[in-house]
Amino acid sequence: MIGIVVVGHGRVPEELLAAARTIVGDLPAAVAVSVSWTDDGSEARAAVERAIAEVGAGGGPVLVLTDVFGGTPTNVSLPFLSERVEIVTGVNLPMLIKLSAERERPLQEVAKLVRDRGREAIYVAGEALHPEQA
Amino acid sequence: MIEREVLVRNRLGLHARAAARFVNTAARFRSRVTLARDSRRADGKSILGILLLAASRGSRLWLEVEGPDESEAAAALEALVSGGFGEGAA
Repeated sequence: MIGIVVVGHGRVPEELLAAARTIVGDLPAAVAVSVSWTDDGSEARAAVERAIAEVGAGGGPVLVLTDVFGGTPTNVSLPFLSERVEIVTGVNLPMLIKLSAERERPLQEVAKLVRDRGREAIYVAGEALHPEQA
Repeated sequence: MIEREVLVRNRLGLHARAAARFVNTAARFRSRVTLARDSRRADGKSILGILLLAASRGSRLWLEVEGPDESEAAAALEALVSGGFGEGAA
């Protein structure tokens, strides 16, 4: 099973995971890493390392979902990129819902699927619900 | 194939947790489940797909179930939706 680490600024990671759990029920081997606004990155990097070790116990695959490409949460995660650790940026709730159902497939395949579903799940409501008026 | 109309009765409509309950129920069966609202169709085993139906309270949905256990699946799903997803109709 693919372990999940959500890394972001402030309390967003915890709350995103809490929302996902409320919707899909149990979400095992998933942890949140909050990057403090005052952290220079060293604390966050150590926390990401611990989180990967926790959810990827025994050398299992881990998908790290970060908030924004180029931000500190992503930057401190990038050094862990490897064959067993992939990183997808721009985490949103639809991505977590999708990921919860696809944790037994190969890591690279799941990373791309999660990216694609995350993108596809963004709508301008008026356009989606009333296409004739858009 | 079994087809029937179901009415969304709970106050919050077919929201995220309700969609998850629908998918969890559908996943217990081998049959293919499709939920449709007007011209939109969604895989009944996909939470994100069902959410796209944007079915608020009072929406009429078209349920299609096809497979070896279609009658049990259709009965369970109809009961779930008609029962307000366990949230009550109030």
